[in-house]
Amino acid sequence: MRLQYLKKIRILVSLLFFTAILFMFLGISLPALSQLGELSLRLQLLPSILRFMALFFSISALGFVLVILLTLIFGRIYCSSVCPMGTFQDMVIAISRLFKKKKNRRFHFTKNRKLILRYSVLAATLILWISGSLFLLNLLDPYSNFGKLAVSVFHPAYIAANNALAFTLERFDIFAVAPMSMHSLPWEVMMVSLGVVSVITIMAIWRGRLFCNTLCPAGAILGLFSVSPVFRIAFTPGACTACKKCEWVCKAECLDSNSLKVDHSRCISCFNCFSSCPNQGLHFTTSSTLPARKAQIENSGNKREFLLTLASGLLSFPLLKTQAFAQRSRTQQVDRQQTQLQNRSQAGMIPPGVRKPVTPPGSISHEHFTKHCIACYLCVSKCPTKVITPSFFDYGLEGFMQPKLDFEKSFCNYDCVACTEICPTGAITKQTPEQKRVIKIGVVRFLYESCVVTTDRTDCGACSEHCPSKAVQMVPYEDGLFIPQVTPPLCIGCGACEFACPTQPFKAIYVAGMPVHKTARAPEEADGPREDITDDFPF
Amino acid sequence: MDRRQFIRKGFIYSALGSLYASTIGKIPLFAAKSHTFSPGRYDLVAVRGGEPVQMYRKAMEEMGGLGLFVKAGQTVTIKPNASWDVPPERAANTNPELVAAIVEDCLALGAARVFVYDHTCDNWQRSYENSGIEAAVRRAGGQMLPANLERYYQEVSIPGAKRLTTAKVHERLLQSDVFINVPILKHHASTTITIAMKNLMGLVWDRRFWHRNDLHQCIADFCLYRKPDLNIVDAYLVMTQNGPRGTSESDLTRMRSLLVSTDILAVDVAGSLMLGHQPEDIGHLRIAGEMSVGTMNLDQLNIQRVNV
Repeated sequence: MRLQYLKKIRILVSLLFFTAILFMFLGISLPALSQLGELSLRLQLLPSILRFMALFFSISALGFVLVILLTLIFGRIYCSSVCPMGTFQDMVIAISRLFKKKKNRRFHFTKNRKLILRYSVLAATLILWISGSLFLLNLLDPYSNFGKLAVSVFHPAYIAANNALAFTLERFDIFAVAPMSMHSLPWEVMMVSLGVVSVITIMAIWRGRLFCNTLCPAGAILGLFSVSPVFRIAFTPGACTACKKCEWVCKAECLDSNSLKVDHSRCISCFNCFSSCPNQGLHFTTSSTLPARKAQIENSGNKREFLLTLASGLLSFPLLKTQAFAQRSRTQQVDRQQTQLQNRSQAGMIPPGVRKPVTPPGSISHEHFTKHCIACYLCVSKCPTKVITPSFFDYGLEGFMQPKLDFEKSFCNYDCVACTEICPTGAITKQTPEQKRVIKIGVVRFLYESCVVTTDRTDCGACSEHCPSKAVQMVPYEDGLFIPQVTPPLCIGCGACEFACPTQPFKAIYVAGMPVHKTARAPEEADGPREDITDDFPF
Repeated sequence: MDRRQFIRKGFIYSALGSLYASTIGKIPLFAAKSHTFSPGRYDLVAVRGGEPVQMYRKAMEEMGGLGLFVKAGQTVTIKPNASWDVPPERAANTNPELVAAIVEDCLALGAARVFVYDHTCDNWQRSYENSGIEAAVRRAGGQMLPANLERYYQEVSIPGAKRLTTAKVHERLLQSDVFINVPILKHHASTTITIAMKNLMGLVWDRRFWHRNDLHQCIADFCLYRKPDLNIVDAYLVMTQNGPRGTSESDLTRMRSLLVSTDILAVDVAGSLMLGHQPEDIGHLRIAGEMSVGTMNLDQLNIQRVNV
């Protein structure tokens, strides 16, 4: 096979994966592409590792093994084909080239001085991860960042285009296109998401795949596995004339035509070099030639640096642990406060500070959720009622920017399991509608003093009306009025009551998140409809 | 001459009069019929013992045909209850076949456009789909419209209203010549019953305002904005407890009935009696009676009861 074609194949494959994942975020479902999208989610390195841990070694979580094997054999093909953020950067690079002078379009080989940065970031990420916080991972993981970009930019753009079309057609009484409601992310979340994406974009414009070889944890991990792949790119000593054309197109800046060396740990297998070479001065090799061995030796030095960083990082582990304990005792304190408030609710407002966030059904517990969610926001974009929203510090540092259910905006549909079906990391585990209907993600609290029935002495009942499990029912009150009565064991915490409650600004009924999800009492087994026994109208 | 005779005679004269009017072009005799203007043969037709569509056809036949209400070239709004994401057998939403039959009949009478919509409580797309109403309406040739965005609503004032003096109403209602209300008879946690008057809540954008500002008064107030030309109440499967959403089929009673009336209050009074409630005990019925939205006392009306 001509090696020049590899670049074209890579572009085609990367665009397929990119489109498939993007469409998942946009909610566009096309038969073959949706399956490819699912496959590509399974292959995302860090989500797959998280899934492996979340689902206890499930087969669907073995994507990362495949990726690592692929990397050991062919190098970091992942970074140029599977990673959507990689493809996004390639697009940024391609577009920015249009605006650059010819000379500035060129990349140049750089000595790999950034290894300390790269492995320090990886070490810090891993240490935080081990100590229970995905803070850095969620901030730096390429898939997570692509998700945030998709949800904050591409999805709104898609909705705007869809609605423009829908509203135009409606003028002609054509209702084939359903309008979608626009939901913006909280501004802090938007700022951080776009901030990180901007950094990646600027790095890409400036120095190609610099992000992938410095800050990206997936790139750093795969870099360790691609020091010397089985099949690897190598210079052909006789054919290479050191014309540097390959260096100019090398986005990873890892080709050194002067010393005929390739830094495979940085090479992202984009295959641009093969297409650029006028002389077939590059080829695939399996033999360990002298330059490759040299590279290995050089790299092992870097490995030592990495180990040093790792060790020094580990020293900070006890410190973080102490913090984690402090956090836990704070949570327990909050628990106690909440129990006290069950009996003594403050009039006029939901008690501040005692409200724990509500995690999606299937997420088992706050601990399970915050330990496995990579904050890609696929569930945020998939949720049909848009009740799932990114949080900021609601879960503390451990769950920075991970999603929660926001009953101010909406409520969780009783029969819907959309989020449980798409979570790539297993932070939200798969549920059937039957299972989901009894998962208790939160529990209802009624504030008698704030209720319209009490304050205005008029009927309302919006909460009970919306309650799917009848955990909130209207019971006779004074003067022929009806007032809500809650049965917490029946409550699943869907938030319909809180959303519907019309009291402003503080709801008279709300749902407090369950730190550990429980099972609600199932509705009783039901018979069919009764037959009417009357034989005439009562009027 | 007693009241019934008076009405019966009044009807015959008005029928003759309309015959006369159709040739000459004047309608002088209708006003003699009853105190609410109704083009139908009866004020209220109540049918029982059949299937929903069969009972609907029978009721309309008794009423004098849908053609009395829908004319060729007109735009029709049909407002079912499609508020909940539950399947038809749970009877939280209007029977989809019934809605489809009305759509079909309107189109057969030459209606230019037939719109069906509801500002749902559950997610609108799931409710439209799982209620079976969207598919049925499409099949019948009607248009199921989105009602989930505020941009579809226009502010209107409601003269004579006590609390709900303005409301944002679906723009297609403003464009419609004919308005047919097709609720389902149900128990309701907030208002004890939900029939024709309560069903109109799905035409406005801000329902929370109603709940916050004396729900019963707001329900009665909104009837002053625009009364439906016809109310067709599905009472085939009736939710007698745990309404309006219901938890299972055990909440239902198979009443196999259907009510048709031009008087929105009268039909609600009849429905509340079917659910075992005295109309005076239901806040919005009592208020509507006081505000003369319709007829509270069914004895004053010309009612046709049919057992099919």
